[in-house]
Amino acid sequence: MSQAVAARPMRDLVTWPQEGYTRVPLQVFADHEIYSWEQDLIFRGPTWSFLGLEVEIPEPGDYITTFIGDSPIIVVRTADGGINALVNRCVHKGSIICYEPKGSRKRAHNFVCPYHNWIYDFEGGLKTIAFEKGIQDKGGMPEDFDKSKHRLIRLRVDTIRGLIFGTFPEATPPLRDYLGPVMVEHIERTLHGKPKILGRYSQFMHNNWKLYVENSRDNYHPSLLHAFFSTFKLNRLSAEGGTRQDDRNWHHITFTKRYTDAGDQAYDSGMIRAMKTNYGLKDPSLIDQWMEYPDQITNSIQSIFPGFVLQQILNSIGTRQIITRGTDKCELVWTLIGFEDDTEEQTYVRVKQSNLVGPAGLVSMEDGAIGNFVQQGIKGDLDNVAVIEMGGRGVGGMPTRATETSVRGFWKLYRELMGV
Amino acid sequence: MNAKTPAGPATDVPVAVRDAIARLMTEYANAIDNDELERWPHFFTEQCLYQILPRPDYRQGRPIGIWFCDNRDMLEDRVSSIREVNVYEPHVYRHVISPAEITGMNNGAWTAQTSYIVVRTMHDGAMQVFSAGRYVDEIEVDGAIARFRKRIVVPDSPRFDTLVVIPL
Ligand code: FES
Ligand SMILES: [Fe+2]
Repeated sequence: MSQAVAARPMRDLVTWPQEGYTRVPLQVFADHEIYSWEQDLIFRGPTWSFLGLEVEIPEPGDYITTFIGDSPIIVVRTADGGINALVNRCVHKGSIICYEPKGSRKRAHNFVCPYHNWIYDFEGGLKTIAFEKGIQDKGGMPEDFDKSKHRLIRLRVDTIRGLIFGTFPEATPPLRDYLGPVMVEHIERTLHGKPKILGRYSQFMHNNWKLYVENSRDNYHPSLLHAFFSTFKLNRLSAEGGTRQDDRNWHHITFTKRYTDAGDQAYDSGMIRAMKTNYGLKDPSLIDQWMEYPDQITNSIQSIFPGFVLQQILNSIGTRQIITRGTDKCELVWTLIGFEDDTEEQTYVRVKQSNLVGPAGLVSMEDGAIGNFVQQGIKGDLDNVAVIEMGGRGVGGMPTRATETSVRGFWKLYRELMGV
Repeated sequence: MNAKTPAGPATDVPVAVRDAIARLMTEYANAIDNDELERWPHFFTEQCLYQILPRPDYRQGRPIGIWFCDNRDMLEDRVSSIREVNVYEPHVYRHVISPAEITGMNNGAWTAQTSYIVVRTMHDGAMQVFSAGRYVDEIEVDGAIARFRKRIVVPDSPRFDTLVVIPL
C-alpha cells in the first residue's frame, strides 16, 4: 500500500452501483486517489504486466527500461541467460539508475546509480557504496550500516513465446495460470516464430488508461468508429467473428475469420492480392496478404489484464503496452514485429500493412482520440455512470462481436482487485 | 530501409535545379498547411515512396514507421480517407522548413535533407510543437518541375500525440 497508505480506504472513495459490472462510476476515470490505489492494487498487485521482448536483450548484460503503471523497471539478461526485473529506483535517494531505453552492462555486470555511484548486481543487491569508509578516514557511512538490508525491489519474471512479463507479489499465480489455457494457446498461435522487431513508436493519449483498455476489449465499436474498411468495401473480406475469454473472464480475444468463398482475389505464391475493381481504393494492395494462420483468422485482438494487447491485423503483428501517465493521460507503446524466417516479400507485406495500425493507422487512429472524447464528456458528471449492456449483462465468450462482454470482464476483475 | 546519412552538400547543383527544389519544398508545406491536401499526391512521382519513420527506427534500419505509401495511388487513397472516413477533432499544421541541403545524385534523382518543425493548432486554439525532424528526399527534376521520388519523414520523436491523420 505504499502509494495509497495516506489516502482514504478505497471503499470510501467509490460506491459501485447495484447493477454491478454493467455500470461504471465515471469518477474512476478522473480521481487521483483511485489512481494511486490502482498503482498498488492492480499494477503492483497480483497481475502480470508485459515488459518487453526477449529479442531486445539477447546477451548477458543487455537491459531495457520500461514501466509497470508508474513504476520504472529495469529488465536485464543475466549471466546464465535468465531474465531479471528490478524496480529502477536507487535505495539511496531514489534516483532512477538506468536512464536510457536500452543498453548493455556486458563487462561490468552491475548497475551504477548516476547520482552517488551506488552499485547493484543484477539480482538487485547493493554491492558497493562510494566513499563507504569516507575520505581519509573522515565521513563515510556508519560502521553498522548493513548493505544487505537495502536492495532493489525485484519482480518475478516469466516469458511466453518471447514476451517478457513481470509481477510484484509472490502470491500472483504463475503466468500461464494467470493467462489461462485459452489465452496461452492464442499467444502461442499468434507468435508462431522467433520474433524480430520491425518498428516501435508510441501514441500519447489524453485519457485515463482504463478507457484505452476498455477500447481494446470493445469489439462493438470497430465497424462503427473506424469506417475505413466499410467505406472502401474492404469488410467483405471477413466473415463474422466472435469473442473469447478465459474461464474467469479476465482477458479477451476478439477475432474475425475470412469468408471461405472469397473468390475475388488473385493468388500467387501464397499471396492473396486484392483486385482493384472490387474495392473503393485506387490501390488496394494495402490489403494484400497471405493466410498466415491455419485457423483462417485474419484479425484478432487479444487484451490481457491489465494493460497488454497482442494484435494480428491481417499480417500486421504487434504488441501494445499501456503505460499510465496520470489520471487523464496514458501512453501506448507499439512494437511491430515479424519473424526470423519471414521472406522478403512477407516482410514487405507487413511493412505495407503498417498503414492500418498505430497513431496514423487507417483503422486505428481514432482510438487515440476517442478516449479523450470520453474524458472531455464526463468531466462535469463524475457522479454519473457508464452503461455497459451490449450483448447482455453477463460475461463470457460469445459468437458475436456485437457485445461488450469483455469490457464487463475487465470491470469484474478490477472490482475484485480494488475491493469495490 | 535506408539508414544511410547523405554524404554532405553538393556544390555543383545548377541554379535552376536549386530553384525547382526550393519551390517544391515550399509548395508541399503550403498545400498541407492551407488545407489543399488534394495537391499533396502530385508532389510525388507515380512510383514513389512516402514514409514516416521515427528517428530511432530510421537509425537502426528498421522498416516500419507509422506511414508507408509506395505509389501515388496510395497517397490519393489516404487523402480520400482523411476527407471521408477518419474521425478526429479539426486541426491544422504549420510547417517551418529549413533550406534544403542538396547532398548529391542517386539514380537520376537529387538527394536532399531538410529540417522541419510542425506546430499543430486545434480548433479550440490549443497549440503545440507536434513534430520536429527532417525530410530525407530523392527528387526528380524535369525542367522547372521537381517531384519527390522518395520522401522519408524522420521525426526526432517516436512518440505521437493523439493521432497523425494529416501528412507531415
Ligand atoms: S541516489 Fe543513487 S546513489 Fe544516491
Ligand atoms: Fe478501435
